[in-house]
Amino acid sequence: MNCVGDDMGVIVRTAARATIPLIGIFGAYIVAHGHLTPGGGFQGGATIAGAGILFLLAFGLKEMKRHFNKNLYSALEGIGGLAFLGAAMLGIGVAFFYNTLWHNGPFLNGKPGTLLSAGYLPIMNLAVGLKVFTGLVSAMAGLALYRRWRE
Amino acid sequence: MNGEAILPYLIIIPLFGAFSMPIVSLAGKKAREAWALLISGATLAVGSWVFYWVYENGTVLYTLGAKSPLGQGVSFPIRIVWEVDLFGALMVLMVTFVAFMAVIYSLGYMRHDTGLDKYYTLILILELGMLGIAITGDLFNFYVFLEIMSIASYALVAFRNDTWEAIEAGIKYMFVGSIASSLILLGIALLYGEYGTLTMGYLAIKLSQNPTVVGKVALALFISGLLFKSGASPVHMWLADAHPAAPSSISAMLSGLVIKIGGIYALARIAFSIYGASVSVKTVGWLIILFACITLIVGNAMAVIQTDMKRLLAYSSVGQIGYILLGIGIGLAAYGSQTGEIALAGAIYHTFNHALMKGLLFLIAGAVIHQLGTRDLNELSGLAKTMPKTTFAFLIGAAAIIGMPPLNGFASKWLIYESSALFNPVLGAIAIIGTAFCTAAYVRVLYTFFGRPGGKALEAKDPEKSMLWPMLILTIAIIVMGLFPWGISDKVMIPAARALENQLAYIATLMGGG
Repeated sequence: MNCVGDDMGVIVRTAARATIPLIGIFGAYIVAHGHLTPGGGFQGGATIAGAGILFLLAFGLKEMKRHFNKNLYSALEGIGGLAFLGAAMLGIGVAFFYNTLWHNGPFLNGKPGTLLSAGYLPIMNLAVGLKVFTGLVSAMAGLALYRRWRE
Repeated sequence: MNGEAILPYLIIIPLFGAFSMPIVSLAGKKAREAWALLISGATLAVGSWVFYWVYENGTVLYTLGAKSPLGQGVSFPIRIVWEVDLFGALMVLMVTFVAFMAVIYSLGYMRHDTGLDKYYTLILILELGMLGIAITGDLFNFYVFLEIMSIASYALVAFRNDTWEAIEAGIKYMFVGSIASSLILLGIALLYGEYGTLTMGYLAIKLSQNPTVVGKVALALFISGLLFKSGASPVHMWLADAHPAAPSSISAMLSGLVIKIGGIYALARIAFSIYGASVSVKTVGWLIILFACITLIVGNAMAVIQTDMKRLLAYSSVGQIGYILLGIGIGLAAYGSQTGEIALAGAIYHTFNHALMKGLLFLIAGAVIHQLGTRDLNELSGLAKTMPKTTFAFLIGAAAIIGMPPLNGFASKWLIYESSALFNPVLGAIAIIGTAFCTAAYVRVLYTFFGRPGGKALEAKDPEKSMLWPMLILTIAIIVMGLFPWGISDKVMIPAARALENQLAYIATLMGGG
């Protein structure tokens, strides 16, 4: 509560506390329904990253440093990419990117338009969402940590 | 394993390596280096196998996501395809080989830098983008890989961000590269709007059935965008900043590979395989020849007056791009004749040779910077005494790039001279003048290297093993290729040129591949 604090004050922090979970849920909704409605992994991931960036802005860098683990985010980003690649390789027996889950099952092959349909697409959306979220948050944290101006 | 089954691993292996790099990095420095080496080595193995397969069995067609590119119940391709003819396979071999050398070299060269997990991730993504461009048979897929390659190279140019030079060069490269990419994207959008397909082979059919003005505008956009990307002369200014500013292992890849794959290869592929039958090849060919002549003179002449070693090499790359463009231009303008075929074979041959030579020369420049901390030619006097192996490698590389007979550059340049003299003697004269400038530039560097030792050069010594080996391997490759110039030309380069010229076979592979 002194003058050097890098947060944005109690009003913004309270508002952020209320909105961050909602933004996260909305982003997760966009990711999960990527194969049914407009939007998808990238858009949803970017929305969730918006929650992380709001946290950084509202609570300040000091608080962010306590909650943000660079190695964990980096590893999660890698896992997102690997999951995408893995989903693409499921049907490698026929062709790269062959949608074997949709054609042969055993799951995610429900009626088109339902949540559990479209084969590998929901998996890929989740993977891309994870990668975009962790990547954008890491990028913003990096910008905040390594800035060279002021002081 | 057959070529169709192994082709996707050309993309899968580097992609897997790049995505798992942050996780492997957690296990430490050694694990990261071993992983980068393993992945690029495996890619080289797959790339060599693809080349061998295509060489033995002809063009390979691979459909993503299904068995056949044709849609259900219709007779035209609706899926993304990869189509590798001999020209593409040769580029695959070139990319995987030089990239592997650059990765080995990085082990020693980049040891003292930080953020190396990002470095190795980006270098694998750069390789992946180039391989994708070489194998793709779909225009939008081509654009995606082009952007993957370009963005990785913007980041790598600015990798050493402790100096403003690197950041400035990176930003400049990014602006110019983005303009070029948007021109190309606009061209693709025009073609898609006009003909409703993105598959290169099918687009060629549509274009020849109904050549429109829109198609020609799209070709103009492609040519302008790809000339930007290849660093041809009126728009080469980014290259002379970006290539010297990058770490030397990256400069080797940028100068040796990126401008070829993202510029020359794509230009040749679009001009021959898509537009071959539907535009006046003579006009387009002369247009490219015009730019080639400007590039040839300006690039080589600018190389002569540089005092910065890496900048000299970068301008020399501009000059050599001029030769390759000249070959492609004549190949287009004299389409179907013997002269055109020789010119095209010379261009392809020179593309491959220049990747080896310029890769080697940039690696040597890196070794010199590593030892002396400077790349100012005025301070490099007398390196021949203290860095004999490096100087020997430089001697070979410089002689090859000038076109001295027992080395590989001779054969490819000879094919280009011969065909340009046959086509139009003035062009032959211009090519020779370019070589005169090129010789002057490299003789200057050699003169410095063999000069009186002094200053920092006295304490220099040959670099460590991981940096010396890639230089040695590239030197040996240059010498060995130089021993069989006409054999390689007849067995590989002429068939590659024929594969590129033969638009009908390219289309037939796509449409009959059901």
